[in-house]
Amino acid sequence: MSRRAYSKHIPDFRYVTYLAEGGTSAIHRANPWTKLALLALVVGLVTVLMDPYLLLVLLCLTVVFYAVARLPLGLLLGWWTLPVFFVLSLSVIFIFTEPGDRLAGLDISGFRIAVTDNGLVLTVNLLMRALAVVTFSLAVFMTTRYNHIVHIAYRSMPRTLASIFLLSYRFMYETSDEFSNILDAMNSRSGSLARGVTRQSKIYAGIFGLAFVHAFERAETISKAMEARGFSGDLPISDRVPRPTAGGYMAVGLGLAALAFAVYSRYFDTGLSGW
Amino acid sequence: MAHIHLEDGAFTPFWIIVWSLIAAGLIGAILLVIRRHKVPPRLIAIAAMCASVGFAVFQVEIPTPIGPVHMNFTPLIGILVGPGLGGLVVLVINMFSAAIGHGGWGMIGANTLVNIMEVSLAYYSFRFFKMKLRRGNYWSGFSATAIALTASALFVVLIVAVSEIQGSQLTKEEMISNLLVLAALNTAAGVIEGVVTGYVVSFLGRVRPDLLERHVRRTAQESVPAVAMEAT
Repeated sequence: MSRRAYSKHIPDFRYVTYLAEGGTSAIHRANPWTKLALLALVVGLVTVLMDPYLLLVLLCLTVVFYAVARLPLGLLLGWWTLPVFFVLSLSVIFIFTEPGDRLAGLDISGFRIAVTDNGLVLTVNLLMRALAVVTFSLAVFMTTRYNHIVHIAYRSMPRTLASIFLLSYRFMYETSDEFSNILDAMNSRSGSLARGVTRQSKIYAGIFGLAFVHAFERAETISKAMEARGFSGDLPISDRVPRPTAGGYMAVGLGLAALAFAVYSRYFDTGLSGW
Repeated sequence: MAHIHLEDGAFTPFWIIVWSLIAAGLIGAILLVIRRHKVPPRLIAIAAMCASVGFAVFQVEIPTPIGPVHMNFTPLIGILVGPGLGGLVVLVINMFSAAIGHGGWGMIGANTLVNIMEVSLAYYSFRFFKMKLRRGNYWSGFSATAIALTASALFVVLIVAVSEIQGSQLTKEEMISNLLVLAALNTAAGVIEGVVTGYVVSFLGRVRPDLLERHVRRTAQESVPAVAMEAT
């Protein structure tokens, strides 16, 4: 399976789906509802936990989960760029302004800026939280078959929203390929070279504009087909997701217990060591 | 990037619940209005395609002198499909984005509120510039986008200032002054997105003017809700 991602730091949905459909690891075989519940628990845990060591343990556990699923670790490092960028864009100023002991400083024409210990801890905590969730989220999507995601979306969302979600999910691949083709054509004509802001903006505006025009034309064709088939608001679902196994219930139960303990130690008994 | 997308763990559980409930209320209201007016398959398909393109567009890197930039085009989506469907489209895009680390799962509520504000402001300000001020497609698209993204950057500052970053010991005033710097940077990125959106809108005005005129024509029928007009 060749990848056609536009950048190294954004996952290619087609490749993600390829891994989900073709994988044979234990995580691939795990129940999708169980994986979704565990994802919610990871989100809950990163929100409640404050201790950097516990957050590091959680991050390591998510990476282990990803590795057990036999997913490409090298790609994961590239895909971490995006959450790291978002966290740093929010916390870069906090590193310097957070009250605490100064670790390093710099004088710029009489104006002194310094990195504080609390600022650094805050940034590292935010980074570990974001990376833990992203790693687990990617692992869930890269081990869950398309049909199962469709079933879960249909069961857990209002009908109109589910229809929009599922239709856009189905056509995501086609839209992405269309973009790839246009960008490949542009790159083959040296179109990616910077030629001034106006020219560059016009080139990309033409590409994006064309994509929206095609999207509307495709939508009109699809809607005609849907109406011709007597669309009643329900999209057909071909595959069902079984109930979680006993092991799945146990994993979710353990996660819930950990979350409950983290909540208790944070809000009711702050003396609990480490939590 | 013209958005500050918040990652998981930035807010306390209380504020995650608060923003999620407000966003759920707004989305619920949009869905109610859509259901009441029996939305046709055409609009569902259009919304789905916009979500698909919006997500795909985000994946394209635009080379600039300051490094590669990604566009979100939420204001353009607002201009094209209106605030009602636009609200659903941005929610779907946020769900896809959360899956790949562009904003957290717990932050979908807060991020969707910011995006709903963008699509709504862009939609109404585009109509204002086009109909009331009689501006061309480029300037209407550029101004609507710049206004929407500037307001949303300030809205993010408000959300973060009210919620506070958990673990930070800064006072609200210190946090706001920090975030205003970020808002200024995001506003500058918003102007870049405004320029590109302006060109996209003028391109659409040349090849498919009906896509823009559908919404502009509505000013003559102010009393009819936007979604109801879409359904006709």
